[in-house]
Amino acid sequence: MTEHIDPSIIVARDVEKIYPNGCHALKRVSLSVNRGEVVVIVGPSGSGKSTFLRTLNQLETISAGNVRIDGIDLTDKATDINRVRAEVGMVFQSFNLFPHKTALENVILAPMRVLKKSREDAVEKGKELLYKVGLADRIHSFPSQLSGGQQQRVAIARALAMLPMIMLFDEPTSALDPEMVGEVLDVMKSLAKEGMTMVVVTHEMGFAREVADRVVFMEDGELIVEDTPERFFDNSSNERLQKFLGQVL
Amino acid sequence: MDKQYNKTFWNFIFIAILFGIGSVVYFSSKSIDYTWRWERIPQYLINTEPQEIRAPFDGSIKLSANKKTLTVMPDNGEAPQVIKAFDILKVDNGDMVFEGDVIAGVDNWRIGPLTWGLIMTLKLSIVSLLFAVIIGLFTGLARISSNPALRNLSITYIELVRGTPLLVQIFIFYFFIGTVFDLDRFTAGVAALAVFTGAYIAEIIRSGIQSIAPGQMEAARSLGMNYVQAMIYVILPQAFKRTLPPMAGQFINLIKDSSLVSVISITDLSKAGREVVNSTFAPFEVWFTVALLYLVLTGGLSWLVQKLEKRLSASD
Repeated sequence: MTEHIDPSIIVARDVEKIYPNGCHALKRVSLSVNRGEVVVIVGPSGSGKSTFLRTLNQLETISAGNVRIDGIDLTDKATDINRVRAEVGMVFQSFNLFPHKTALENVILAPMRVLKKSREDAVEKGKELLYKVGLADRIHSFPSQLSGGQQQRVAIARALAMLPMIMLFDEPTSALDPEMVGEVLDVMKSLAKEGMTMVVVTHEMGFAREVADRVVFMEDGELIVEDTPERFFDNSSNERLQKFLGQVL
Repeated sequence: MDKQYNKTFWNFIFIAILFGIGSVVYFSSKSIDYTWRWERIPQYLINTEPQEIRAPFDGSIKLSANKKTLTVMPDNGEAPQVIKAFDILKVDNGDMVFEGDVIAGVDNWRIGPLTWGLIMTLKLSIVSLLFAVIIGLFTGLARISSNPALRNLSITYIELVRGTPLLVQIFIFYFFIGTVFDLDRFTAGVAALAVFTGAYIAEIIRSGIQSIAPGQMEAARSLGMNYVQAMIYVILPQAFKRTLPPMAGQFINLIKDSSLVSVISITDLSKAGREVVNSTFAPFEVWFTVALLYLVLTGGLSWLVQKLEKRLSASD
């Protein structure tokens, strides 16, 4: 359907974000991500990495620059942002499951309402996805009856149910108890293996080293280092990155 | 730690205090020589007295052989009156009757004025509640809209309505708006109640929506839902559940406030009470009965809302 020769599916160019209170959250951040690539963004808290991730589906509007998803300019007023968002899945730090709906209902809601799928189709796909994230036995549980790790896996299944081209992960394991981090990372690893394009903001350096194609370091709203995991973790000459790695590793 | 109370003992104290209050009411009525006439009240709720059928003109009675059909033959040669539906016969074949004489009776139950009042109050409450919820929902949404025109309009409406007494609003609706648009009493009353209650419901809905974590809206929007879909499928169902208790309070207020429309001569429960007092001279009994009937309405509503709350708490 698409005739792009351009391998980049996400192109962010000179993205600026200045809040009304004057806080300069993003300073000329540029990043492009290829199809099937896994990019991990790390950096100290307040460095603007979550803000940047959220500009990729316009949950955060930008003050200057532009963001293109699959060739579509998000800053263009004519762009139907809902259609772009339907193809860009997002997983949040605090899960944000719909508490009044069961796991399965959470997963089938958007396919039915946005993609106008029939209930049968949505349920079939939903069950398949919940099975894939290891929750076949909890499909009728409400979020309040699930552990943090289980809730985050439902949230991943919910995003996948829209058959997205891209998955954005905003610190998906930061709100989890340590023993549940692994189960969520495992699901993300298998997604990466299947060739999903992923942008992940995380503090899990092990995940970055193992899964990422590229690792990005942000600090004070600036993108400072962008490199392969090997060079990023072992051979970087950047002082600020070395200081940060020294603190977290 | 909670202190452990002796339940039986304190329940007994509770009953004793209620009994004490009841006795005070009883003895204070004794002290003013009030004669309780509770037996006068039931007929104003349901009237079981046979309904009388009177002769329409002077004439004579003709009965059919099986006494099932009664015909009044007029003296002046006009068309005879045939009466078939009756339970009690007060006349016999060939009797002379004059216009207005009781000739038969019908044994049917009729609803008394207090019950009519109750029905009117119920009707007023349900219709205005429906409109109040619609007004409240849209105003509540406009109140949190980022569009300044919508937001300011809803703030103005809410402040105007909350800042003026309902009684004054009812008069304005009936005498001004009612005259301009030629509204009948009931419509004017319903409009006043709906507009009044709508302002409070708007604030309840606004606070309900604002109490939902912003992440819910973000999650819904990130899945490609538009604002309206996110509201309908994600935010409002959660807000609805959270606002049930204050909403129930507002609904109960509406039922009670509906008594004020009696000032524009709508015969609701309160006005019916006033009328019955005038014909029975038993004010204590009538007002206690009216209070009890209001309690039945509000209590029933409370009970319904509690059941609903229980059902919705499945996901907690």
